[in-house]
Amino acid sequence: MVTLASLELIEVRKAYGAATVLDGVSLSMQAGEFLAFLGPSGSGKSTLLRVIAGLETVDGGEVRLGGRRIDQLPPGDRGVAMVFQHYALYPHMSVRDNMAFGLRNAGVAKGEIGRRVLDAARVLEIEPELDRKPAQLSGGQRQRVAIGRAIVKQPQLFLLDEPLSNLDAALRMRTRVQLAELRNRVDAAFIMVTHDQAEAMTLADRVAVIHDRRIQQVGPPMEIYARPANVWVARFVGSPAMNVAPVELLDGESDSASVRLGDGSQVDTRVPRAGLAGAGPLQIGLRAESVRVTGAGAGTTDARVELVERLGDRTLVYARLSDGQALTGEDRGASRVQAGDIVGLRIEGAAAHLFAPDGSGRHPVESTTA
Amino acid sequence: MKGLADRHRLSPLALAGLSVAALVMVAPLLWTVALSLKSNAELMRDSGTAFFAPYTLENYRAILQGSQVFGWLLNSLIVSLGTTLGVLALCSLAGYGFARLEFPGRRALFVFVLLGLAVPEQAVILPRHQLFADFGLHNSYPGLILPGLAAPFGVFFMAQYFRGIPRELDEAALLDGASRWTLFWKVLLPLTWPAQATLGVFTFLASWNDYWWPLISATRSDRFTLTVGLASSQMNYAQTSGLGYLMAQAVFAALPILIVYALFQKQIVGAMAGAAAAR
Repeated sequence: MVTLASLELIEVRKAYGAATVLDGVSLSMQAGEFLAFLGPSGSGKSTLLRVIAGLETVDGGEVRLGGRRIDQLPPGDRGVAMVFQHYALYPHMSVRDNMAFGLRNAGVAKGEIGRRVLDAARVLEIEPELDRKPAQLSGGQRQRVAIGRAIVKQPQLFLLDEPLSNLDAALRMRTRVQLAELRNRVDAAFIMVTHDQAEAMTLADRVAVIHDRRIQQVGPPMEIYARPANVWVARFVGSPAMNVAPVELLDGESDSASVRLGDGSQVDTRVPRAGLAGAGPLQIGLRAESVRVTGAGAGTTDARVELVERLGDRTLVYARLSDGQALTGEDRGASRVQAGDIVGLRIEGAAAHLFAPDGSGRHPVESTTA
Repeated sequence: MKGLADRHRLSPLALAGLSVAALVMVAPLLWTVALSLKSNAELMRDSGTAFFAPYTLENYRAILQGSQVFGWLLNSLIVSLGTTLGVLALCSLAGYGFARLEFPGRRALFVFVLLGLAVPEQAVILPRHQLFADFGLHNSYPGLILPGLAAPFGVFFMAQYFRGIPRELDEAALLDGASRWTLFWKVLLPLTWPAQATLGVFTFLASWNDYWWPLISATRSDRFTLTVGLASSQMNYAQTSGLGYLMAQAVFAALPILIVYALFQKQIVGAMAGAAAAR
């Protein structure tokens, strides 16, 4: 089983009446891969997950799992298991029955059911709760039962719908670790829907950023962060959102593009110049960590501070250039900057991205991440 | 549990008001019981003696010796239980269908069912009588049970309850490979137990107390339900002379209802509160 394509979506389309929710989505996953669907609410990411699960029909395209076409099969026959956002445990059944229900429907032998349920319960540390009802469990325990219910089915593909969103911060961390462990233990692929970047970045091998009914970009988390495919992905991934400002391309001999911001200051990027000249209005993309706060006059340009967020290890400074362009910069944790101050901003041109008029991203030759 | 304590704390005025109201409600019942425990002869002289000893069980003995009382009781039980089970089965299935299944004309059909609530029994009783006569259903259990199975309110009630169950459960069950029937029978139906209990109790009470249809449909005394049977025996006595006996009959007829109430008190109160809250 070497890199056999696990899940394949081919031009999947879905509409509710006149409203298109998925517009020709194509995606291919490797066996054993952990993929995150990341996007804002209403982007279509949950619909895509439900299409794969069989809870929504497709209006066009194909869904294949392990080479088999599954988009016309009922949910129970697809070889997928799902962990629901609100767990969806059967309230009147014990933990044991909750986990065994799917196996009984599939006609698995009684002894085998008992063995699988017990194994999963041990791994998830819910063995003492097997005879209790979901209402008697804590949120974290319910979450583990929901995961257990999926594990016992030994699916080819786990579908996780915002699995951590109902847990408090401490429990979320712990469950995140458990999910990572689970992923190492079972021989299956995972798809997790989330709107939380940290979850997507830490758990997933690859992230599919979904927006506006389409997959905007698929790639390893750091690639999405460092080389966003377009302005939207650039601004959605990373916190605070990437600074995006209109710039003018300067003439020059160098292979790399130099640009001028609205206030007249010049930034020398490492983005190849080729194909940019004459393309139309460009935008520059700057992460806050590539905009360092210094003393007035000591940086690339000066700006007036509007808001300061002290995060302990670093300080975010929301400032405005003389032409009114807002820019978020970063200062050290012990920053003394106050709102209203005039500060210098040192822009690291080497880390800057440029966006063509169609929104597509151009990235520095040697991708630098500060 | 502060909220609970607060809810039970009443002002003296409210307490007095409620006490009077409770007394007004319970007085006729106690009076009935007292009358039923007196001999007819004594009551004929002066019905005020009901509040003083001696008391006797002779009226109850007379009822139990009435050859047909237990037959009527059995008829009432069969009709009431049959109606209740039938209503629960039909309303659960119909409610599930309206709440969860997609089919053309669902909305229109649901409205059509609800329109049944607007048709008074008086309007249909003659054609129904004719229909049952044509089919030879009078003086039979099906004849007494079938009309009660048309329960638009029950369909509406169960549909609303099914709608309140999160759809994620259906989806989880479908992913667990459950068939539609398994989903209904093993996952959703057990969750409607509170609604089943409420609807069941109300249906049972209504069926038990029903007088009009059994009066029309059951013309043979061995097919009488308890209500019709007791009423028929009253006709045989001048009511002034049989006051104690009459009251004992009333108490006797109410006993099964008391038992049902004692068993399902929580559901009945809950249903009443729910109905009140819904308004």
